[in-house]
Order: sequence, then C-alpha cells, then structure tokens
Amino acid sequence: MKNPLRKRLPRELKDEFGKYLVIFLFMTLTIGLVSGFLVAGKSMVKTYNDSFEEYNIEDGHFILNDEITGTLQNKLEDEEDITVYSLFYKEEEEGEHTYRIYKNREDIDGVSVHKGRIPEKDGEIAIDRKFADSADLKVGDKVTLDKKEYEITGLVALSDYSALFRSNTDLMFDAQNFTVAVVTPEAFNRISDNNLKYCYAWKYDNTSLTDKEKKDKSDDIKTFLAKNAVMTDFVPEPDNQAIHFAGDDMGSDTAMVMVLLYIVIIIMAFIFAVTSISTIEKESTVIGTLRASGYTRKELVIHYMELPMIIMFIGAIIGNILGYTIFKDIVAAIYYNSYSLTVYTTIWSPYAFVMTTIIPCVLMFVINLFMLTKMLKLSPLKFIRRDLKKRKNRKAVKIPEWKFFTRFRTRIIFQNISSYIIMLIGIAFSSIMLLFGLVMQPVLNDYKKTIIDNMPCKYQYILKMPVEIKYNEAEKYAITKLEMQRDNGLNDEFTVYGLNEDSQYFDIDFSGLKDNEIYVSDGVLDKYRLKKGDTITLKEKYEDKEYTYKIAGSYVYPSSLAVFMDIDRFRDDFDKPDTYYSGYFTDNELDIDEKYVATKLTQNDMTIVADQLTDSMGRMFYIWLVFAVALYMLMVYLLSKIILEKNSNAISIVKILGYKGNEIMRLYVAATAIVVFISLVISVPLSDFTIGFLWRAIMGTYPGWLAYKAPSYVLVEMFVIGVAAYSIIGALQYKKIRKIPMDEALKNVE
Amino acid sequence: MFLEIEKINKYYGEGENRNHVLKDVTTGVEKGKICVLLGPSGSGKSTLLNIIGGIDEADGGNIIIDGAKLEDMKEKQLSLYRRKHLGYVFQMYNLIPNLTVKENIEVGAYLSDSPLDLNELLNTLGLWEHKDKLPNQLSGGQQQRTAIGRAIVKNPDILICDEPTGALDYNTSKEILQLIEKVNKQYGNTIIIVTHNDAIKNMADKVVHLHDGRIRKEYDNENKIPAEQLEW
Repeated sequence: MKNPLRKRLPRELKDEFGKYLVIFLFMTLTIGLVSGFLVAGKSMVKTYNDSFEEYNIEDGHFILNDEITGTLQNKLEDEEDITVYSLFYKEEEEGEHTYRIYKNREDIDGVSVHKGRIPEKDGEIAIDRKFADSADLKVGDKVTLDKKEYEITGLVALSDYSALFRSNTDLMFDAQNFTVAVVTPEAFNRISDNNLKYCYAWKYDNTSLTDKEKKDKSDDIKTFLAKNAVMTDFVPEPDNQAIHFAGDDMGSDTAMVMVLLYIVIIIMAFIFAVTSISTIEKESTVIGTLRASGYTRKELVIHYMELPMIIMFIGAIIGNILGYTIFKDIVAAIYYNSYSLTVYTTIWSPYAFVMTTIIPCVLMFVINLFMLTKMLKLSPLKFIRRDLKKRKNRKAVKIPEWKFFTRFRTRIIFQNISSYIIMLIGIAFSSIMLLFGLVMQPVLNDYKKTIIDNMPCKYQYILKMPVEIKYNEAEKYAITKLEMQRDNGLNDEFTVYGLNEDSQYFDIDFSGLKDNEIYVSDGVLDKYRLKKGDTITLKEKYEDKEYTYKIAGSYVYPSSLAVFMDIDRFRDDFDKPDTYYSGYFTDNELDIDEKYVATKLTQNDMTIVADQLTDSMGRMFYIWLVFAVALYMLMVYLLSKIILEKNSNAISIVKILGYKGNEIMRLYVAATAIVVFISLVISVPLSDFTIGFLWRAIMGTYPGWLAYKAPSYVLVEMFVIGVAAYSIIGALQYKKIRKIPMDEALKNVE
Repeated sequence: MFLEIEKINKYYGEGENRNHVLKDVTTGVEKGKICVLLGPSGSGKSTLLNIIGGIDEADGGNIIIDGAKLEDMKEKQLSLYRRKHLGYVFQMYNLIPNLTVKENIEVGAYLSDSPLDLNELLNTLGLWEHKDKLPNQLSGGQQQRTAIGRAIVKNPDILICDEPTGALDYNTSKEILQLIEKVNKQYGNTIIIVTHNDAIKNMADKVVHLHDGRIRKEYDNENKIPAEQLEW
C-alpha cells in the first residue's frame, strides 16, 4: 500500500498554489538563467579554446620600426625555432572611428565570418561584427577610408581580436570607436603607408612546449629583437588582452552566476524548511497522533520533504530545458554584445546539468533533511501537547515598559526570530544584487564626468617628431610610458608626464620638490593603497632599467595611472636633450600635418572605459536589477506569509476581542515592516561595503584603475525601492489578515 | 494478564517544581476487556495512558504487554510496537485536515499488514456517506468516529482512548461509546478509556480510580451495562 499521506500533496499544492507557483517560477527561471549561462558560457569557451587551433592563433606578436630584413627573420626563426608571419596593418580614420586594416589572412590568426563574405576585390572590406553593431553598419554599407570608398562585404571576427583592444595596455577595449578589418592584398597596398605598422606574429615550431618553456622562449625572442631591431611593441599571446580578455571574462561570469544560484537555492531551501516547520507546528497534534500510532520519524520527514523536492526537481528540469533553449541565446547575445567572438556551436554540458540540477537538489535535500529531522526529533507527546520548544522552562524575554503595541510587536519579532533572521540574510543578499544593478551606471557616469571635469585640456597631441607651432596657449610637455610589475603578468602601465613648472593646464606646484619626489594621479594612491611619503618603483617596458620615486602628493587625474614631474627633471631622468618635448596640451585643435602626429587624444579617448562598459554591460545591469527586486519581494512575501499563518489563531482572537483592521495591521504587519526596515538600514551600507570590496578585488586584477564610489542618491534609491516593494507586500498581508475568520480561534480550542 | 502495570512512577518538573504525578501504580487488564481509568483532572490518568501507549517514559516501574517489556525497548522498537499493536483516539480527534474521511482512515490502514476492510469499517462507523468529506465538513461526533476508524483499522491489540467524549455532547458521546463497545465486541481489542465522566465506568469490565497519582480503588465490574443504557 502506498503511503496515504501522499494524497495530501496535490491538495497541499492546490491550497498553497500561489506560494508554490511563485517559488517554482523563481527557481525555474533562476536555474534556467544559470543553466543558460553555463551552456552558452561552456559552448562559447569551448569554441573560444578550439579557435586557437582552428584559426591558428599566434603565439605572440611584435611591432618593429622598420620592415624586418630577410636575413634577420631567418636568423630569428632559426635561433628561436619559430615561424614568423607578416601581419602588417594600417590605421585609417573615418570620423571618430579607427579602422585597423589587415590583408586577408590565410596563414595565421584566421577570420570567422558571421555574415556576408571575405573581400574578393579592391573596394571591398570586411569589418568586425561587434563594431558594426555599435556603429550601426551592415553588409552593403559603404565606408570611406584614406579618401577611398569601400563596400562592406562581411561582418567578421578576427580570432586574435575577440576583444577590440587598440593597445594591450589599455584598461578597456573599445568596440565603439575601434575596429579591425580585412581587405584584399591589392587594396591594402593601395592604402597610404602613413600609418603602416610592421607587425609580425610568431608561432613556435614545437607545438608541445609547456607554458614555462613558452614564457622563456618569448623572453629570448624579446631579447633577440631588442638587440637587433627597434621594437615598439611586444606582446606574447598569454599576455594579449585582445585574445584573452573575453575568455577570462566568460569564465569569471560563470563563477559569479554559480555563486548567485547557490545563494538563491540556499535561501529557497531555508524558506522551504521554514514553511515545512511552520506546517509541522500547525499540524503538531496530527503529527503526534501519527507518531503515537506508529508512523516513524523517517516516514514523516520524507512526507514533509516530498513537495519541496518535487518542486525543486521539476523546476530544475524545466529550468534546464529553458537554459538550453531560450536563455542560452539570451546569454550568448550578452557575450556577443560585448565581444567579437567567433561563431559558436552549442555543446551538451554534463557539468551544467550537475551544477544546475544535481547540486541544487542535493542542497535542498540536505538543508530540508537537517531542519526537519531536527524538528521531528521531539517525542510524539510533545507534538500532541504542542510543546515544540527544545528548551524547557523557557522564560519570556524581558521587555522594557514600552507602550503595549510596541511590546506586542516585539513579542511577535521574538516569536518569529528564525524567520526574521532568514529574512535579514535574504534582504542583505538581494540588496547587494540590487546595488550592483543600480550603481554601475551611475559609477560609470560619475567616472566619465570626473574625467571630463578634470581634463587638463581639450586636445592632447603626441608627436612623432618635434613640430614648432604658433599658438600661444599650446603648452609643450614630455611623455613616456613605464610599468609597474605585478604578479599576474598584466603589468600596470604608468603614463609619466613632464610638465612646465608654471603649467596653465595642471595646477601642480613642483617647486621645493626633492630630486626623487613626484606627484601621482589619485588612482595610484587608491589602487595600491599608498600615501604621501611612500615610494613607488617603475621600470622601462622592454628594459630592466628601474626608477624609484617618492610620492610628494596626488593630483586628480582619473583617466589613467600617471606620474607628474617637472619637464626638466623628466629630461634628466630619461636622458633626453634639454629642449626635448613629446607634444602639446591645447584647448584648440592644432594645424599640424597628420604625418607628424602620433596620437591626438580627445574627450572620447579618455572616456572609452565608461562608454564601453555601458555599451556591453547595460543589459546585464538591468537583469541584475530585476532579479534582485524579484528575489527580495519573493522572500519577504513568503516569510511574512508564514509569520501571518503562524499567528492566524492569535489574529482571529484579537478580531473577536474587537481590534480593528488597522490596529491588527499595526501589530502584525508593522512587526514585519520594522524588521524589513532594520534589515534595509543594515543592508544598504553592508551592500555598499561589499560591492566596494569586490570592486577593489576585481579592479586590482585589471591594468589601470576605475574608482568605486556609490553616489548617495543610489543608496537612497535602493532604500526607497526596498520600502516600496515592501508596501506592496504589506498590502497583500493586510488582505490576508482581513480574510482570517473570527471562528478560526473558536475551532482551535485546544 | 495481557497488560501488566508494575509500580509505575512518574515525575514532572525539576527542583522545587518537581511533581510526583504517578506513585507506584500497579494494575493489569485482561485481553479483550474494556478498562476505564477514572479520576479528576491532575490525577495522572492521561500520564498513565501515555506511558502505556509508549509515548511517554516512566521514571520507575514496568509496563508489560503480552509479555513484552516497554522499558526494554528503544525508540525505534517502540515506534514499531505502536505501529503493530496500538491504536490511539484523542479528545480533539487530530485528523489530517486536507485528507478525506476515507483517506484519514487509510492513514491507519497503511501501518498494518492486514488492515480491516475499509468499506466495511466505514459502514460500521456510520461514515459511509461521509467518506469523501474533509474533516471541516463533519460534526464533532463524525470526526471522532473517523479518529476511531483510523485507530482500529489496523486492528490493534490495544485501543487507547484519551477522553474520547470530552469534546462531545451527550447524545454524540453515547454514540461514540456504543461504537467503542461495538468495536470491542466485533474485533476483540483490549480497550483502555481515560475519562473524568464517572458514568462511563458502567460499560467497563474493569474500573481503576486514580487520585493524586495513586490508585484509590480498582475492581472488576460485575454489573457491566451496554453503553446504550449509560446515563449522566
């Protein structure tokens, strides 16, 4: 005979349909989203990993000042056991967009075609898909480069540019203003050589080298080139952000959503356990009778676990189906919205199944089993007597002589303390997510605004060679790049400025500084937790020469990690002639022949990080926001419902006694409102601290620095959302209270 | 003797609040007989019943049922013992609210390898036409009949009834007592009824009066009358 208690399950489900439906939907969607993330992530990571072989991605590249000679190339290939490929490119601009143009690639760093085809004749060009999306360009559109019109024949992804980094030292890629492109060799040769870069990629002939051996070999190649040529850039493949940024990011997203899933499941499991315990309390005498009649503890534990486990399991299965169908594409779209990835194929991931089905089910099982076993350990007699407190002679908590209502509410809070603790934890967790969803855009906007507000001038020219000009307001400066070595290989690039002592663009007083004293940008102090008087050691990028400076003060310059010194000191330190300068700061565009200009930095160049993050992460912020509010509301709703149900008898009694609706609200709804309010008061600063902590940990691994500071209005907004969401729940609670009949108490005369 | 109760002692509370609720209680009941435990509130009758039922532990003494000592049994064995040999009826019915009458009785049937015929029992209990109703659709008497049905469907050796008529009116109480009597005759169960209603002693084979935790009086009832004739 099947256990007849099972017949309760469908009825329990019917009676509490709303509650179980909400839990079910939330679990299904959470698991679906996570499963989608894992499936899309795993599929894309696999495609990404396979792309190294499929598209023959380079083992590194370097840029020389001049074309390498055949003899030198042969020598390099023979000595280092590598094959060198020409990967020359030319950069052309159309408006604010920079096109880095390559010849069609065949031997190395292959091209994945998303739409259209590779150019076949002069006048045709294929551009990066992600850039095309941002710039609203389609196949068939025309672009003008170096005064010649090109028709876009294909939207592609270059396998060595899954993230569109202009330079490996950039803090962020720039898919909005920068693209890679391929044209036919004839078309390439026709483009002006003004911005030609002699870029060479290499592949190790021995394909079975270990990472350590590859690292040693790349060091040897660098030494060889430094000795025999003038090198302007050198990037081994493991250090290449354009190749690795997307892959690393996809991995980190997966870890993040997994943590999210497990926290949600744990909260849900506790909610289920609290629900079951509340049912057990309600059915205490029945349970006592059943136990007295011979039902074992095991049979009852199984009975009370069945429904949560069935809902969990069905939620996990449907969630996985959604993950493999709908959510996978949504997540893939998020990745494609950020990166220039090659075309991916979906792979079945046993890992995703285990992580989103088996582990959540096991978590749910273990937490419920633990809570229910603990609860059902009491003797049958205790259940019959409704004596479910573990501690004997439990005395009432002493409450000061507050007003009656305050004392009453305090008693309710103490009575339901375990539910309220879970509520506090849940609110804290959803607040962290909520803040993340709310704060990112303002942080980026604020960062952008700070950059703009603190830009020393409108234009910053870096010249290839000295060019004297007539403008009085243009101010000469010197610039160089040094780096600070870090353990993870991604060294931080520092911009070192040599400024006029009486600079009209920088309000820094260099007089009185000692020989090794310098100013740094405020981000340097923030990132490395340094202070005035500390020293920093920077080194030349491709040499071992080091410079140690003492920090005399900081200057607000958010766009990069920077060092400021007097231009004469600069010339001394970097062995430059007495009249040396690198370019001009100016508020007016200068009339300098383009061939002398290496770079012209404008506001757009400075705000690229904020713009790119907004572009690629905007949708993600929104998802977090919605998810956080949903989690918050669901949890507060379920727990407050349980608390009301637990007190339905008491509510019925106070109704009989003649309490009015608003008075009952002031007792029961207000008790939960107070806990929600306290939880929010704790959660808002806690979330700010946690996001700040995580931010520092994440940004610490990136080159550069983007400071986190939640604007106070966001914290207020967060609090208001919390209160507003609770008001809806409060209204639902009021409705529920009104429905509790007065005879409820009369029925339960025990 | 089928049920032997030997020098049962029971205390509640600790320190100054320690209360000796059962004091060397010794008695016994023959198989298939109805025993009524009488006494005022606080006399210890429900505590004794709970100890006999194995849901409370004595602090001294023995309960021996058909030769098996309850004191020697561990929690699991006790649970198994209750499952096989005992049926419980409480004053407040304790039915499962979202199961029908029939299903509530099935909850008892599930515990037995050879339960009584469910349909026949529903008829015997006068619940046939109510079998698909939920407890909240029933009167108190119907609920108690369902509770009795749940207890006896597994045909237990001992049926323990704790104030089975405590929440019922006169007529319904008599109906329930008649039912208990009928069950005893039909299935031969040993029945122990705890009550503070003095009149019920007249339907018993054995009467035990408890007062302040001690047996004040016990006797075999030579003048047993049918439940139908009980008056109070």
